Amino acid sequence: MSPPWKWLLPSIIAILAVEPSGAQQTGGVGSATPAVSPLTETERSAAVAIDSLTVPTPGEFFKAIDKTGKPNWVSQFRPPTPIGGVNRAQMALNLGTLIADGYIAVEAQDGQQVKNIGRDVLALAKKLSVSDSVLARGKSITQFAEDGSWDQLNEELEATQNEVKKALEENRDTDLITLVSIGGWIRGTQVVTGLLVESYNSETAKLLRQPALLGYLRAKLDQLPNKIRQDKLVVKVNGDLKDIASMVSFPADHVPSADEVKSLNQASAKLTKEISAGE
Amino acid sequence: MKRFLISLFHLLSFPALVVGAVGVLFGAAASFGAETDEQIKAHSEVLDLAGAFQNDGFKLRDGTWYAQVSQGHSQTLQVNLYSGNAYWFSVADVGGATGLTVSVFDDHGNPVEVQTYQKDNKAAAGFSPDASGLYYVEVSSSAQAATTFCLIYSYK
Repeated sequence: MSPPWKWLLPSIIAILAVEPSGAQQTGGVGSATPAVSPLTETERSAAVAIDSLTVPTPGEFFKAIDKTGKPNWVSQFRPPTPIGGVNRAQMALNLGTLIADGYIAVEAQDGQQVKNIGRDVLALAKKLSVSDSVLARGKSITQFAEDGSWDQLNEELEATQNEVKKALEENRDTDLITLVSIGGWIRGTQVVTGLLVESYNSETAKLLRQPALLGYLRAKLDQLPNKIRQDKLVVKVNGDLKDIASMVSFPADHVPSADEVKSLNQASAKLTKEISAGE
Repeated sequence: MKRFLISLFHLLSFPALVVGAVGVLFGAAASFGAETDEQIKAHSEVLDLAGAFQNDGFKLRDGTWYAQVSQGHSQTLQVNLYSGNAYWFSVADVGGATGLTVSVFDDHGNPVEVQTYQKDNKAAAGFSPDASGLYYVEVSSSAQAATTFCLIYSYK
């Protein structure tokens, strides 16, 4: 394990350069041994959860993977997914998986794949009546892909996802926002476990621990209106997520074995396929 | 610079999108609609701070959290982080030297060691988790009067 401050030291230099008088002010930059009291259970349960910050992006997940080796991102591409959609719930779930595909293409630095996925995202967004607001994003994605601007593409993909969610909210389709997030998480998990099945390493396997995130997403599913919650595919997603939640809810000091990773990969791959097919 | 301007545009054009709060403490708020003048100003201030981290390769999350804080009334946000990544949580408010501080806690509520920055109306906490999972980010203020802050985070 790297020293905890290895990644932060250059930032400290950067911040002092931007704010040259910072160190002379109230505290400046410093290392803090915790002087604050632990949070009580009441304080923890009252903590705010915000979709746009509490749910990590696939890009954030993949960035952590990059540090553990040289993943073969291309191996995780999948054939173009049908974007027809049987209903809006399925389209929202599918949109989440497609946006995750965009992050994979960015990690693989495959400009053509990014453009193809960008087109599919726009087409699906149009079916969800949110295409106008994300049209500009689609153009940016194409431009950045042609320029090979991978960092900007990461940011653009997150902005696109948030733009879609914002448009859904404006269209009073707030309930679908949760489904977009869930679709992205499922596909991201399939990809990361797929990389691990190809080439297992314990550092990457540890990244799969996300018990609270699954709890948050499942709680959001439970809050959906009856009509959506009883949708055939949503029922299946909710049931499968319950099983998947148990697979990613392990103690902080546990490292998932290759077999455990394989089981999670099979579960997330099955669910991704079901979302894509709308079954 | 170009990347920073793009991020700035995204952040300014996208009001905080809150799709669910497990719980909301005193004064906690996040905008569904247009940002208020105070929020816009706090947002602009915190982007100044986060720009330093972007210069060092940190990517800015396209999301913001606004809330009100005062002495004895801190605010806490749930985040899900990955071991191996490094994070900076940055906050700013619209006041002067309002004594904002940022603390990070693990999933059991125990404080973790962070790198801190504090100047005038801005503060930040840098953290590189050993374990993936849930963490809590708490924003506190030493000022008596309630003030609106904006929190953003960046990672690499």
